[in-house]
Amino acid sequence: MEVKEQKRHQAKHSGPKAQKKLKKQGGSTEEDECKRNPKAFAVQSAVRMAKTFHRAQDIKTKKHHIPLVDRTPLEPPPVVIVVVGPPKVGKSTLIRCLIKNFTRQKMGDICGPVTIVSGKKRRLTFMECNNDINTMIDLAKVADLVLMLIDASFGFEMETFEFLNICQVHGFPRIMGVLTHLDSFKNNKTLRKTKKNLKHRFWTEVYQGAKLFYLSGMVYGEYQTQEVKNLGRFISVMKFRPLVWQTSHPYVLVDRMEDLTDPERVRTDPKCDRTVSLYGYLRGTHLKNKGQVHVPGVGDFQVSDVNFLPDPCPLPDAQKKRALNEKERLLYAPMAGVGGVVYDKDAVYIDLPANHVNQQQEEVRPTTELVQSLIDTHATLDAKMAASKVSLFSGSVTLDPTDIEQQKKEGPHEKQVWDPNTQRERRAVVFTEEEEEEDAVTGSSDEEDDNSEDSEQEKEADEEDDNLSTFLKDARARSERTEKTAPPVKRQRVEEEMLVFADSEDDLEMSEEESEEKGQSGRAGDSGHCSEEDEEETEDEEEEDDDQESDDESVEEEGAALMEQTASESEEEGEKGTLKWKEGLQQKASEAFLRHQEAAPNLRKLVYGSVVEADDSEEDKEELGGLFRVSRPQKSKKFKANAVDCSRFIPDTSHNWDLEEMLNSIRDCFVTGKWEESQDAATLLKEDEELYGDFEDLETGEVHKGQTGLQDQAEVQLDSQELEEDSESLVKVDDEEVQKNKRLDKKRRLKERFDAEYDDGDATYFDDLKEEMQKQAELNRAEFEDVDDETRVQYEGFRPGMYVRLEISSIPCEFVINFDPHYPVILGGLGSSEGNIGYLQMRLKKHRWYERILKTRDPLILSLGWRRFQTIPLYHIEDHNGRHRLLKYTPQHMHCGASIWGPITPQGTGFLAVQSVAGTKANFRIAATGVVLDLDKSVTVVKKLKLIGYPYKIFKNTCFIKGMFNTVLEVAKFEGASVRTVSGVRGQIKKALSTPPGAYRATFEDRLLMSDIVFLRSWYPVSVPQLYNPVTSLLLPVGQKDNWAGMRTMGQLKHDLGIRNKPNADSLYKSEAKGISTPSTFPKELQKSLPFKSKPKQQQSKGKTPRDLQRPSVIREPHERKVAALLHALSTVHNYKRKKAHMVQHAKHKEFLQQKGKQEEAKLKRQKEARKKLYRVMGQMDRKKLRSSLKGAPQED
Amino acid sequence: MASQGLVYDGCNFFRQRLVLSTLSGKRVKIKNIRSKDDDPGLRDFEASFIRLLDKVTNGSRIEINQTGTVLFYQPGLLYGGSVEHDCNQQRSIGYYLEALLMLAPFMKTSLKATLRGVTNDPVDPTVDLLKSTALPVMKKFGIGGDGFELKVVKRGMAPGGGGEVVFTCPVCRTMRPVQLTDPGKIKRIRGVAYSVRVSPQMANRIVESARGVLNQFLPDIYIHTDHMKGANSGKSPGFGLTLVAETLNGFFLSAEMSSTPQGQGNPVLPEDLGRNCAKLLLEEIHRGGCVDSSNQSLALLLMTLGQQDVSKVLLGPLSPYTIEFLRHIRDFFQIMFKIEVQKPFEDERKGGDKVPQPR
Repeated sequence: MEVKEQKRHQAKHSGPKAQKKLKKQGGSTEEDECKRNPKAFAVQSAVRMAKTFHRAQDIKTKKHHIPLVDRTPLEPPPVVIVVVGPPKVGKSTLIRCLIKNFTRQKMGDICGPVTIVSGKKRRLTFMECNNDINTMIDLAKVADLVLMLIDASFGFEMETFEFLNICQVHGFPRIMGVLTHLDSFKNNKTLRKTKKNLKHRFWTEVYQGAKLFYLSGMVYGEYQTQEVKNLGRFISVMKFRPLVWQTSHPYVLVDRMEDLTDPERVRTDPKCDRTVSLYGYLRGTHLKNKGQVHVPGVGDFQVSDVNFLPDPCPLPDAQKKRALNEKERLLYAPMAGVGGVVYDKDAVYIDLPANHVNQQQEEVRPTTELVQSLIDTHATLDAKMAASKVSLFSGSVTLDPTDIEQQKKEGPHEKQVWDPNTQRERRAVVFTEEEEEEDAVTGSSDEEDDNSEDSEQEKEADEEDDNLSTFLKDARARSERTEKTAPPVKRQRVEEEMLVFADSEDDLEMSEEESEEKGQSGRAGDSGHCSEEDEEETEDEEEEDDDQESDDESVEEEGAALMEQTASESEEEGEKGTLKWKEGLQQKASEAFLRHQEAAPNLRKLVYGSVVEADDSEEDKEELGGLFRVSRPQKSKKFKANAVDCSRFIPDTSHNWDLEEMLNSIRDCFVTGKWEESQDAATLLKEDEELYGDFEDLETGEVHKGQTGLQDQAEVQLDSQELEEDSESLVKVDDEEVQKNKRLDKKRRLKERFDAEYDDGDATYFDDLKEEMQKQAELNRAEFEDVDDETRVQYEGFRPGMYVRLEISSIPCEFVINFDPHYPVILGGLGSSEGNIGYLQMRLKKHRWYERILKTRDPLILSLGWRRFQTIPLYHIEDHNGRHRLLKYTPQHMHCGASIWGPITPQGTGFLAVQSVAGTKANFRIAATGVVLDLDKSVTVVKKLKLIGYPYKIFKNTCFIKGMFNTVLEVAKFEGASVRTVSGVRGQIKKALSTPPGAYRATFEDRLLMSDIVFLRSWYPVSVPQLYNPVTSLLLPVGQKDNWAGMRTMGQLKHDLGIRNKPNADSLYKSEAKGISTPSTFPKELQKSLPFKSKPKQQQSKGKTPRDLQRPSVIREPHERKVAALLHALSTVHNYKRKKAHMVQHAKHKEFLQQKGKQEEAKLKRQKEARKKLYRVMGQMDRKKLRSSLKGAPQED
Repeated sequence: MASQGLVYDGCNFFRQRLVLSTLSGKRVKIKNIRSKDDDPGLRDFEASFIRLLDKVTNGSRIEINQTGTVLFYQPGLLYGGSVEHDCNQQRSIGYYLEALLMLAPFMKTSLKATLRGVTNDPVDPTVDLLKSTALPVMKKFGIGGDGFELKVVKRGMAPGGGGEVVFTCPVCRTMRPVQLTDPGKIKRIRGVAYSVRVSPQMANRIVESARGVLNQFLPDIYIHTDHMKGANSGKSPGFGLTLVAETLNGFFLSAEMSSTPQGQGNPVLPEDLGRNCAKLLLEEIHRGGCVDSSNQSLALLLMTLGQQDVSKVLLGPLSPYTIEFLRHIRDFFQIMFKIEVQKPFEDERKGGDKVPQPR
């Protein structure tokens, strides 16, 4: 980014400021602060300094990105702008406004992609995305820029977030938000608030500071011009980031579709597979012909043919002007019916509005002229193609005229029929191939004196190859007349072979003999040696061989055989030819090299055969009358096919390395040999002298001149003398050129040296890397720059930015019948192994906004790579020991693994999953997201399996267990496995028992009980179900394209069919049983603090008396019983007596106590009276005393 | 849905097809394998090769019909890891190793292959040759670093075998685009003269005669003698010579020759062998190029599988094997090489300048 230079501060020349400055300058005679105050700038702490340095370096390196080779094409394809949003938000209006802004044209319905030229270097393709999740997914994969429309009066809708999440998974294109319906806000404050809220929510979703555009209101059903213009400006200067998937795959957003199927076939079988041609700009990376493509919503297809067409919407070529003029503001939208002239490989369609034709018949004339001119340009293009063929091979001197002829005939130029179908507005120049068979029949024997009109004319045409356009016109006229096309290419080829055959008949016998002589060593032929002539001879010989083998064959078939034979064969045979050819020259190496030189243009043909026409339709040539097939013993071919597979290149025996000449021929390969002029030590020294020879001796003041300069001059003089002798002014000019070049060379070298010395100071590794990438990019560009497109396409494939036409055969008829231009058709190129299907291991996380968890073995629709497909995932999680344990459901907030059967996609590719693509539901539709981890074909998911057995015999620690296995063999497999009881006693399987089949002996660490259950925990590998069901939403009828329903989940099936599982009774929930209540416990502290009555009563019921404490019951003898009875009786009597005595005693005592009480009472009474008397006396005495004491004092009372 | 595979006839270029199929993921069907032969079907060494391929891949599917004349191969994932293989003794280890060299950089885990069998025989490139030429070629493409080596543990001559080779190769993420157009002049010639179970003097005799031829061009010639004894000498007697010419720009041209296997054909004198081998090297130098004739296909493959940048390599005359390889590359990868012939301004340069544009 270039910093814009700001307006400079204007220095004052007068006034107080200037004076102040002057004073300051005068005053600050001392040095800058660093010198004035050195202490302040001294190093205080080395550690701190190191830290700051480290930090600075860290920040610097953080800014670096890994440099990549720049692969952007020189003329990039239009930028794909996808306009997304919920319905009724203003998508079409916005596109219409933008188109109007750029091209001044109005469009009605936005159907399919609309391509416009927006500037001198940029084209835009607008595509509207409807509310179908299929469309959203597809378009997110091809978008460069997304205009996300948001209804501000409503706020965000689910679709917006869904689309953002789709984008996140498939690489994040540029996203720009556009707020519409802002005029519905009456209150300015709420408007501002809403804008702010929406902006911040948008930022959290995209990135901080993402651009959000406001379209404030509508004027006559359109957005305000100024705002649209601003938006357009933003779009036309926007930069885009390269997305990994897009830059590594070729893809085409189809903007035009033509059905090429034979109408007759369609009539007889309306359901037959169709052949269609799809058109669009190629994007991403180079597309190879005959590659595999995936059409999302339809399926995988093999491309049967690819061509590039002239750009229907080209960038303006003149770069001088500031702005585009009206003519250059092109608009191309064939699906919407806009675009005027449409080119095809072999046809031109011109769309004239229906009302124009009836208006004026006169105006048709200029239109036809236009058409004529257009067709003419098309023809010259074809001519160019043909011409390119010639130029490709014309580099060699030895090209035969026949060869030139042949190559010219390979071009597809004569095959045009201009069919003026005047009934319709469309006019087509159509390619027909009806003539082929007829000509093949006629061209069997007498081709040289061809009498048929067509071929004669064709020959004429060949002669006037300098004026191809006229020829084409002729051909067109002819074809109009006869409605027949020129003969097919194959026949021409045959003819050519025939000619050669006639030419070189004489030297055939020799070669046959020689080949026999050669025998095995013939194999050693080095391929590069075959010259053009050799090749022909070779072919001739082969023909001869064939002739001898099967005399009765017709000549035509011979030609066919030739075609079939691989180039390697011809090369093999070529050696035989060369032997004869170089009989006299074998010794002379220089001759041999001349030969190599001649072989130059042949290498490509040798390796790849004639590229333009791949060897197709071998079969039909071998057929004779459609009934018999000629079987021909091809000895050489069979021999070749089953030869020893060895990479060693057995040397040419013709070289005799004992000869001095041969030795001398390679002497310069060694360092001891002669060096080239530029690398020779002597020249290098001389150059050094030139550079450093001139110097001035400072002491003596002598000037030393480099000698070479003088020498050079001398040489020049000599040269010029010689030239004068020749007296050719032209050569002189040449000489001057040479001189000039020499000077320039010298300068350049000097500069290089200087640069090497002074510039490389701070070149880092990063800089080096960047430079390397830059160099590579330049190299890539330079390599094919001068090659014409037709050839270039064969080497590097179709490059992005080209307008291509892809032909696909056998596409389902529903694609054509139910074609809806509102739905995008995308051709996604597939990598080398991406067409295969296999197991994929992925990491998956349920989306946090999706409400339900996902169940293993429930079908799920994934969007992965280009594809959308339904598959059955198995979820698993990795245990600590690396085992992948099957999960029944995905975890709520965690990643888990998922294994699927699906298309092979490179590791690290993101995917998203939806449960269903049908209809719109209220809640969030994206169920899960994730990434491909592995493509391992051996699935390692296991699930736990518990085998249960029961002991039937228990010895001390050994136990016999049955019921776990069924046969002895099964047990044998598990010998040594560890088992466990429910109570936790561990054990080991020892050996199978014979009697109950499947029983075994096991040992345990403790004695088992019969009631124990023994189980064996094992892991059982689970196989991933092989369901791969591409979502074929584009094949559905128009209007129902968003209703694709695939395999239903088990739950849906049961719901739909009304099936209910009978649940296990044990698993059912029951109300809690009464009476059983668990005692509640209180903490001890609480118990302590409680009053007694609230304390829990700890009265435990008395337990049973233990056995040892129980006394045995005594059973008496009869005598003892009598004694006991007597004793009992006696004791009863005694007890009665004692009781009676006690009662008497008790009564007596009671009486005594009564008497004693009475006495006591009396005693107390007496004492009381006595005390009473005493107290009275005492009281009287006290009173007396008191009175007497008062007598002495004044009396009171 | 899945791509339909390619179909070929005959057992020639058997390795190429399977290797390219594995690398490209395209399935391949080879029909009419020696169908007209007295002994029809796959040979043991081919079966052994398939087994090796199965060991380094994961999930390959191989179907062979009863007579062995039809083979169907659906490639799996290149896995790598530690592999041990007893190669069939009809062909030398070089036969297997050539394919392994092509596959090794593209494995999932680094490869450590132990191959046992015949290390040197006159038919295939020997282990020594591959070690001295193929590995430098691969290094030019950025494969290498730690653990990229080929070690001859034991030597085993043709009929008996008993040799052992350890090849380790790390995983290589990306190939570097290369511009190998200037081979430079040859600065030195090195070589190994080996002999097992014969007199150690044989090697010296070979060296003597080879030097006699090569000394006319260059003084800097050093040929090691490698005489292996005891357990390391394999089961059959024999001797041979491998010569490598190194250029100033670090390219290697090589030639080799080994004695005829015991009991097959006429015995060879070591002097003749040395001289003929030296002449073979001269022939190889005559052909020129930056990559010698036996490694042409390897270099082309690495160019194909690199990034989509232009790589250039100067080769000598294309060998028939390479030509077929180029065709196969077009079949499997849809990549065509731009082949040009370099005009010889100097009398010894030969061959073509090939420019590929992968992807």
